[in-house]
Amino acid sequence: MAQPIFAFRDVSVRFGATPILDKVGFDVAPEEFLCLVGPSGCGKTTLLRVAAGLIRPQEGRAEFEGRAVAEPTPELAIVFQDYSRALLPWRTVAGNVELALEARGAPRAGRAAEVKRLLGIIGLADHAQKFPLQLSGGMQQRVQIARALAQRPRILLMDEPFGSLDAMTRQALQDEIARLCKAERQTVVFVTHDLEEAIYLGDRVVALEANPGRVVEIVEIALPRPRDQLTTREHPRFLEYRHRLFGHLAKKEAE
Amino acid sequence: MTLRRLLLGLVFPVALLAAWEVSVRAGLLSEDVFSRISRIVPALLEGLADGTIVARTYETLAAALFGWAIAAAIGIPLGLVLGLVRPLERLTLVTIEALRPVPSAALIPIVLLIFGFSLELDATVAAFACLWPVLIVTTGAVRGIEPRLLEVGRALGYGALARIWHFALPAALPGIAVGLRVAFGIAIVVAVTVEIAANPRGLGYAMITAQQSLRAEVMYAYLFWIGLVGWLINVAMIRAERHWLRWYWAARGAA
Ligand SMILES: Nc1ncnc2c1ncn2[C@@H]1O[C@H](COP(=O)(O)OP(=O)(O)OP(=O)(O)O)[C@@H](O)[C@H]1O
Ligand SMILES: [Mg+2]
Repeated sequence: MAQPIFAFRDVSVRFGATPILDKVGFDVAPEEFLCLVGPSGCGKTTLLRVAAGLIRPQEGRAEFEGRAVAEPTPELAIVFQDYSRALLPWRTVAGNVELALEARGAPRAGRAAEVKRLLGIIGLADHAQKFPLQLSGGMQQRVQIARALAQRPRILLMDEPFGSLDAMTRQALQDEIARLCKAERQTVVFVTHDLEEAIYLGDRVVALEANPGRVVEIVEIALPRPRDQLTTREHPRFLEYRHRLFGHLAKKEAE
Repeated sequence: MTLRRLLLGLVFPVALLAAWEVSVRAGLLSEDVFSRISRIVPALLEGLADGTIVARTYETLAAALFGWAIAAAIGIPLGLVLGLVRPLERLTLVTIEALRPVPSAALIPIVLLIFGFSLELDATVAAFACLWPVLIVTTGAVRGIEPRLLEVGRALGYGALARIWHFALPAALPGIAVGLRVAFGIAIVVAVTVEIAANPRGLGYAMITAQQSLRAEVMYAYLFWIGLVGWLINVAMIRAERHWLRWYWAARGAA
């Protein structure tokens, strides 16, 4: 594997006395699309927040290009799971996306065009002047994704971004994100509790178990790209990965 | 529909005024104390025509506005800080709760010593009275801000001050706006009170002069006028709120 761009080094997090994450460690390679699966409550969001520099682990650390991530940095963009609370309700759709451009000090002149381009990519070009509270949940999440892309991060951290979308929109966005990230050679850490989504999108899948959150298995996904909603999902190896990883999710979800 | 509602809203006041007129004419109420509508309305029109009411209104409103602006300039920043920094709020709570019940009129003798009979006397006492609603409402609004929003600010790399300006202040604005509107009503009431009690200027003093020269109809003309002005200002402020905080109202189906 190439020199990692990002790494978790024995990250342990406790809330009070409860251990949430226990010595979680793995690397993320440049341009890799890494998916993180695990049962609900196993600490996926917590791990992503450590990655983004929003919380500091009690032990271990997250490293970006060999340096510890102690504070949020513009090089890491995070798409939050609870999109409805992560958008600024007083800013329009366009204004929310522009926020990231303002934050990274993009020249004023090019901002409108860039916002338009990004809204086109996520299919919200017609809703640029609406306020977030006037949009459906799925649309709000797409605004958040556009905002993260506008940040031009080195690593895109996404927390169950498609969790609340209907199946059709979800598949369309999966393909869109996969295509975009590969075209832009974007490094991605993608959290989901949907195993098939993880296999479909990932170059590798990291499976976590719960209580406390630990890495149980890391699977290399050797499925050809570009992937296809029909043929990829029917690929014998897809089914093989699914079988292999299913146990970790099912076992813990039942508890 | 709105016209109908307006007419319905007028039924009760018109009936009351008619009853007033009839009672005075029938000798049930003393005309020296109560005057009557058929005298009050001409007195009001006359005062408006010769410019005296306008001049007195200007004096009172200028003082009220000044006091209100001072209260806003102190109350909003202080409320922001107290709302964001919990320990500070606990530290100042006792002081604030001890000062708050002090009747604003109790300040008149002190402020009189400092400023004499002047606009500043009205304004200072009004400022003291409106500081509390602005401060308390702002503190509460800031405390109620969605924490995720401030985290989005952190994740985008905004510093603490920028987060207050770009995130905390706009998020708290709908609450602050209500505080400011209530405070302006209080500012007018207090300014008039100070004028009635001590300060020889403005609408309050005009009222007390009319009373002392036994011109009850002029006194009532001022009373009605104060009510009308207060009502108009409130309506204008509600309109401004709906305009400036479109995002807030749009989501609540009242854009
Ligand atoms: N601020 C906090 N204080 C205390 N406990 C917390 C806090 N945040 C999360 N937890 C606990 O940590 C555990 C992991 O939470 P986390 O949100 O990381 O799970 P998750 O894997 O993202 O779950 P989901 O798939 O439901 O989003 C949960 O048991 C949760 O109750
Ligand atoms: Mg989560």
